[in-house]
Amino acid sequence: MRIGAWLTEVADVRPAAEAGAFGVLLDTGSDTGSVTAAEVATLTRDCRVLVRVLLGTENPVTLAEEVAVLDHLSAGRVVVLVDPGALSDQAAAEDLALLRACWSGRPVAHHGARWQVPSGVMGEGMPERIAITPVPSQVELAVWLTRAVPGVDLPEVIDDPAAARPDRQVQPGVAELTGDLARDRALVTAWSDAGVTHLLLRPPAPAGRVAAGTEAATFFGLYVARYLQPEVSMPGFPRIMAEADLPARWGR
Amino acid sequence: MKFGVGLYCLQATASTPRHPSTPYRELVEDARLLEGWGYDGMWLSEHHFFYDGYCPALLPVASGLLAATTRLRVGTGMMLLPLQDPGRVARLATDIAGRSGGRLDVGVGLGYRDVEFDGKGVRRQDRVALHREGLTELQRTAVPAGATIWNGSATPRGVARAGARGQGIMLSGANPLSLVTELAAAHRAGWEEAGRPGGVRPRVSALRNFWLTDDRHEAAAVLDWQRASYVLYAGLGWAVAQQDSTEAMDFRADLDKAVGQAVATSVVGPAAQIVDALHEASAAGVDDVVLRVIIEGAPASAVRRMLGRMADEVLPALENVEAVA
Repeated sequence: MRIGAWLTEVADVRPAAEAGAFGVLLDTGSDTGSVTAAEVATLTRDCRVLVRVLLGTENPVTLAEEVAVLDHLSAGRVVVLVDPGALSDQAAAEDLALLRACWSGRPVAHHGARWQVPSGVMGEGMPERIAITPVPSQVELAVWLTRAVPGVDLPEVIDDPAAARPDRQVQPGVAELTGDLARDRALVTAWSDAGVTHLLLRPPAPAGRVAAGTEAATFFGLYVARYLQPEVSMPGFPRIMAEADLPARWGR
Repeated sequence: MKFGVGLYCLQATASTPRHPSTPYRELVEDARLLEGWGYDGMWLSEHHFFYDGYCPALLPVASGLLAATTRLRVGTGMMLLPLQDPGRVARLATDIAGRSGGRLDVGVGLGYRDVEFDGKGVRRQDRVALHREGLTELQRTAVPAGATIWNGSATPRGVARAGARGQGIMLSGANPLSLVTELAAAHRAGWEEAGRPGGVRPRVSALRNFWLTDDRHEAAAVLDWQRASYVLYAGLGWAVAQQDSTEAMDFRADLDKAVGQAVATSVVGPAAQIVDALHEASAAGVDDVVLRVIIEGAPASAVRRMLGRMADEVLPALENVEAVA
């Protein structure tokens, strides 16, 4: 199982990424996920950039364009976390279908209950299909959902390991760390045993990071990366690898 | 006089093919270089549904650039406001302005390509009303968060309205200096006739085609890069309407003539020539200049070499220059 970071503070982004998080979501709780995802894109180099897309706030064509641009800004590292928000299941399914059509690279002609693309509002002479450009850098964008949408077969980010579907190639989850090593080891192990493949961890506030020091670099590097990620990287991880003295840090 | 660099359109074109992620990587590199050289800002440009990937989403890109820098301003030149939900675009701009310490310049324009309106489900005849709605939202939330609004109009009436709102304008690089003078005067008059809102005259920024070189071969190449960059506008269907001071520039009706007119605005030469031309721009009423040097065919290495020289040899000479009333 790979561990990533679900963050609320930009100051945690680089430390989490440099400590090996598979991906980083910077989530300020608003519908401006493309703003914070862009920050993650340019503050990091290797980790996946999770972008939260809230449906029902904008034309899906515009949302798709933002994500495609982020995929290039991050050199092909985007994972899309689609939040259906207040939309009905049917409406969310249509918006999702349009989003994914925009990312396909095929010219788009969508005629649904909510959206007509192209719209035809400009009358005669307009093309019957449009190209949404740029096409994302990745061959196929990973799209995860914050809740299941009936009829849409995409991974859902679950917050309860009992809901895991080990039959899926990708099963993401989200959990909250406590800062207590024994409890956090048990936490990530439970998620791994349930069949989750990618676990996004919400760190405790700096004051709660008592086990490894309150500095972000220390917390992500010498706590999450040292003790938790190895624990779920192989069955029967030999803990001496984490608990032995660290090698000299000279030259860093 | 303040200096920016642009316009970053982030394309991979038929005549300058490259991986579509390459311009984004070079953009972030440029942001850090420009900041180090002492430039004030960089400017992005927007279009939709064009074959070369012309950047359709400026605010996320601006956010990334602002996170990668600490002092540089980043501007949209122009963001096509009627094509976005007014409330959401204002929330994005507000968030970016707040998170960047007020380093976001929000340049807004109406848009002119029918295919873009049709693709987004916006009737062209509604664009002015939608633009006003968007401006109201930006003024209500993004400006208090530290954003600065710039208007992209190219008509005396349009820039006068911007002046009356107490907002700056950004003028096209294809405008001859005669039109720049006319528009800057109209902007100033609009502000004065409206009772000088804000108390401080809003600034006039102008894209200008400047390139510093002592090499005649490089100069010839620059003029050809300018030509190629305006051919692109022909593909987009852009045109400049006739004004009192200036004849029309219609890339659809007469491509060679319009491209020739646009390229004729270029000043390409040694530092002294560039400094003189910048003083002329200042005398025309220009407060700030955006160097239009991200042009079709110009290699990133040549652009960077030139901008580094410009920072050393030209910018210091204009440090205390103010636009002439």
